[in-house]
Amino acid sequence: MKNKKILLLVHQGKKVRIIGFERRGAYFQRRLLEMGLLPGKIIEVVRNTNTGPVEINVMGSNLAIGRGIASKILVEEIDE
Amino acid sequence: MNRTFTVALAGNANVGKSVIFNQLTGGSQIVGNWPGKTVEKAEGFTEQGGIRIRIVDLPGIYSLSTYSEEEIVSREFIAKQHPDLVVDIIDASNLERNLFFLFQLIELEVPIVIALNQYDMVEEKGFEIDDKKLSELLGIPVIKTVATRNRGLRELFQVIADILKTGKEGFGKVRYGKEVEERIAKLSKVLEKLQDISYPLRFVAIKLLEKDPLITSEIKSPEIISLVENLVKELEDIHGEKSETVIISESYSVASRIAGEVLEKMHDAKHDVSDSLDKVALHRFWGYVMLLGVVLFIFFVVFKFGGYLSGIIGSLFSLLEPYFMHLNMSNPLKELLWNGAIEGIIAGFAIVLPYIAPFYLILSILEDTGYLARIAFLTDNLMHRLGVHGKAFIPLIESFGCNVPAIMGSRVMERKRDRLIVSILATLVPCSARTVIIFGLVAVFLGPLYAILIYALDFLLIFIVGLLLNKYIKGTPMGLIMEMPRFRKPVFKVIFRQTWVRLKAFFYFAMPIIVVANIVMEGLILLKFIGPVTTALSPISTFLGLPPLATITLLFGVLRKELTLIMLATFYQTTNFAKVFTPQQIFIFGFVTMIYIPCVATIAALKREFGNLTAFLVSIGEFIGALLIGGLLNLLLRIF
Repeated sequence: MKNKKILLLVHQGKKVRIIGFERRGAYFQRRLLEMGLLPGKIIEVVRNTNTGPVEINVMGSNLAIGRGIASKILVEEIDE
Repeated sequence: MNRTFTVALAGNANVGKSVIFNQLTGGSQIVGNWPGKTVEKAEGFTEQGGIRIRIVDLPGIYSLSTYSEEEIVSREFIAKQHPDLVVDIIDASNLERNLFFLFQLIELEVPIVIALNQYDMVEEKGFEIDDKKLSELLGIPVIKTVATRNRGLRELFQVIADILKTGKEGFGKVRYGKEVEERIAKLSKVLEKLQDISYPLRFVAIKLLEKDPLITSEIKSPEIISLVENLVKELEDIHGEKSETVIISESYSVASRIAGEVLEKMHDAKHDVSDSLDKVALHRFWGYVMLLGVVLFIFFVVFKFGGYLSGIIGSLFSLLEPYFMHLNMSNPLKELLWNGAIEGIIAGFAIVLPYIAPFYLILSILEDTGYLARIAFLTDNLMHRLGVHGKAFIPLIESFGCNVPAIMGSRVMERKRDRLIVSILATLVPCSARTVIIFGLVAVFLGPLYAILIYALDFLLIFIVGLLLNKYIKGTPMGLIMEMPRFRKPVFKVIFRQTWVRLKAFFYFAMPIIVVANIVMEGLILLKFIGPVTTALSPISTFLGLPPLATITLLFGVLRKELTLIMLATFYQTTNFAKVFTPQQIFIFGFVTMIYIPCVATIAALKREFGNLTAFLVSIGEFIGALLIGGLLNLLLRIF
């Protein structure tokens, strides 16, 4: 698979597809799934300033995700 | 029909639930606790179409799983208290995620009505939702509403009353893919044998397949446990994902399909002001500049306006004193009543209220516009060093008004560990009463720079205490997962309600404790306990380098911090403290008052949220800490 990386390292404005989570079964995994961050879903990174949380757009609404959690979400970049 | 019906309001956070609640009940809510739980629910009564309805406002949640206490409590309420109807308040502009929550409600097999709220946001995005079709697809009545503008509410209330009267209920139905449904059916069949299950069998079956820890722990039969394990394994083998991922994905694909069928694009979205605002508000540099500006602005407004208001209210009350003193009563009783009870009430109204009311008003405006969520975003990294995520910053800000609502507000945190850390830190934040002291003593007699220095020292202390708490309180720190609401124009009705909710914690909880404690203390004075106490406290006075009488006032400060200042003036018969104190003493006194122990109301709030032991340890810990720091300051100031 090309361009597989963690969400934390995705530049702002890019669209990515969710692959899965590192550390399966971690406490945050279920909440992310419930918020719609499902494997295969395409999300857009709205804001990633390298200092604060990563803001993403999933299904038309924005979520802020702390950097710790964002470093455990695996994604792949997709071509526009 | 004489019975009272129970209607529960459920839905995600930030969908306008409380606005609908407030419209239904006319704001006449009573706040109570669920048995055995500390999560609060609001409750109120209403009459609709001639029937009496108890309305229960459930906490805003995203799921009925076990991620937070609020979720567990909500699902237990619905399953065990059997409300006659659940109104699911849906954020219409975020249909899929809200349908996901709805499906879980449906699995609890309760009659449901949907309020398709914030419908104006859908229109702004250029969409329409076919509510009739949605209602047909789900088998549940759907009403479009814009609660903040009072649109559709009358119709909603009418539908609620009709359903309760006629019993024509919609339970709704969701069906997932074949592989999942087959296994739910197989499991439900076996579950039928069990006796004491308080949830619907289908719900239990789904939760077992998702490996919900609470529900799983209730199943004792080894047969069923091994069946569940087999079914879970089959699902995971077919889909190559964990079973909970499979079920949540199924649920979302049903939600997406339904959303796709009912959503119609009418025109392009209007230019989004919210996105443009966020470019500044969340900017890695300008965001913080703006935050600082907002904070300074609040302080400026609150203390300018508050001081003005305080003066007016204070002089109004003092007009009463001569009349009271002429009443036909014995002198000690008169003093007990005036100095104890009435002074306590006056202080609440004249000294504390003028500062916290405008403060909470501004805070509620920030909340309603969506700016508080931005603050949580900006401070997330900082707060992680203290072992909590960015949302923790909000109760800490609330704490500048009064610590009591802040401790109750710590419920925004998902776990108990985080709530405890936030609450302890909140007790160290200078509330309005302490700010009065710093402004009235330190700023006046030493200059504003020293007042700022005291604040800086206090923030440093909060940071250090946070680091220590994070290190020594067990548990994993949680990361931030927060919905970012769009910026929106504030609605004044909503703001006033939020302000009142915060003030209520002060009025109903803090005030009575202050008044009672005041009466007790006044009684002790009348019984001449002051002399012996002064002697007993003299080692502390020497250690802190303060005059003995000043140390006594610290004792009173436990009731209300600003009382220290008032007592000083009484004892020394002057308000020119420069005459009786050295500058060092003023500085030490100011700092020690700020941190030495939470006031009685705060201790009571800690006790209520975390129990006796925690309240005791925090109080003693802060007392000892303040003594040590005060003593150290005394030593340092003497040397230099």
